[in-house]
Amino acid sequence: MTTPSPAAGGARSVTGADARMDTLVGTLLLIGVAVSMVLITAGLVWSFAQTGHAVLHYRIVGMNFYRFAVATARSVGRGHVSPELLVNAGIATLMLTPFLRVVASVIYFAGVLRNPKYTLFTTFVLVVLTWSLFLRF
Amino acid sequence: MAAAVAAHSFVLLFPIAVVAGFVGAMSGMGGGIILIPALTLLGIGIKQAIAISILSVIATSSGSASAYVRDHITNLKVGMFLEMFTIVGAIVGAHLTLAMTARPLYLAFGLVLLGSWVALLVAGHASWQGGTVQDAFTRWLELEGAYYDQAHGRLIEYKARRAYFGAVLMWGAGMIAGLLGIGAGAVKVLIHDLVMGLPPKVSTTTSNLIIGVTALAGASVYLAHGLITPTLAAPVALGVVLGAFAGTRVLVRLSNQAVRRFFLVVLIALAVEMLYRGIGGAV
Repeated sequence: MTTPSPAAGGARSVTGADARMDTLVGTLLLIGVAVSMVLITAGLVWSFAQTGHAVLHYRIVGMNFYRFAVATARSVGRGHVSPELLVNAGIATLMLTPFLRVVASVIYFAGVLRNPKYTLFTTFVLVVLTWSLFLRF
Repeated sequence: MAAAVAAHSFVLLFPIAVVAGFVGAMSGMGGGIILIPALTLLGIGIKQAIAISILSVIATSSGSASAYVRDHITNLKVGMFLEMFTIVGAIVGAHLTLAMTARPLYLAFGLVLLGSWVALLVAGHASWQGGTVQDAFTRWLELEGAYYDQAHGRLIEYKARRAYFGAVLMWGAGMIAGLLGIGAGAVKVLIHDLVMGLPPKVSTTTSNLIIGVTALAGASVYLAHGLITPTLAAPVALGVVLGAFAGTRVLVRLSNQAVRRFFLVVLIALAVEMLYRGIGGAV
């Protein structure tokens, strides 16, 4: 499936593939933020129900995003659900949201539009973002 | 002092974050520009305030971008091309913040507030004139498009220009975002409008898309450095998102002039406060 670019096919408002991509990206962003906010709210409400304070005393130290996300996912897998875990899952979901948007863009430019230039650009953004998520200090 | 804030963090931080998100959305300046000075006034270190703010920037920009993208106004090619520069700038900016002492950060933030104040003071005079001539590089980048303008009931066609200049400036805008934990949306919109000749609607919505990815690049650096503390980040992110959500809905009911005047007073007060702390006040 190819989509004529405005340059090739004359100016047009939104082509079919573009419209589907916009809807996909928009929905992805909305779901990501909504899920993240629900998880953070649930963690704070749970903490309040347990202790009478919506306060969580812990820090994320010595972990890059990758380790943080893996540790969070492992705890979920083991069923060790706690207010802290819900908040961590909320933060991880929030950070993954724009990342997944870039992944979707790479697929769109490479697979749908078959535009080598923009496939290269979006891949560069993806590589730099991925590298930043693996940073260690 | 930060420990004292943490002890009753939700009660203090949540309402402040709601107000910051609300005012940020109403003014179009984003939540961080109010949030960071407010957090430092509570005794939270400026580096931690920056880290917490940049996380909430991901939430607000992604939230509003989701609506704009579905309206088919956002230009994905413009966004992706410029993101190559903003994310590198944001990573450099975040590393600079980690290497700096607090005082220059207060100064830099004060100057950005002052710049925003000036921009708001002189804003609203330029209007978009379509039909610009594209340079070869921007044409090669395919930076053009069209969208249906509901207010005017017609298709607006546009061609961007000077992408090479826009790219360099966007690197700087990304660095400001990573350095100070703000979306720097006002700077990005100015670059889109004045340098690249994009229509205002396209520049605002595309800037929103860029802000989320740029903030993520900065947030990754701060997270790896242990500066994103859930104790503070959770109530702040939640509050800013709720405030921004309410702010965008109230926007239509308040006159632009009233919002502008209110924001001019807030900005100059915060600018003076941050500059004072940068020069010699308590940090």
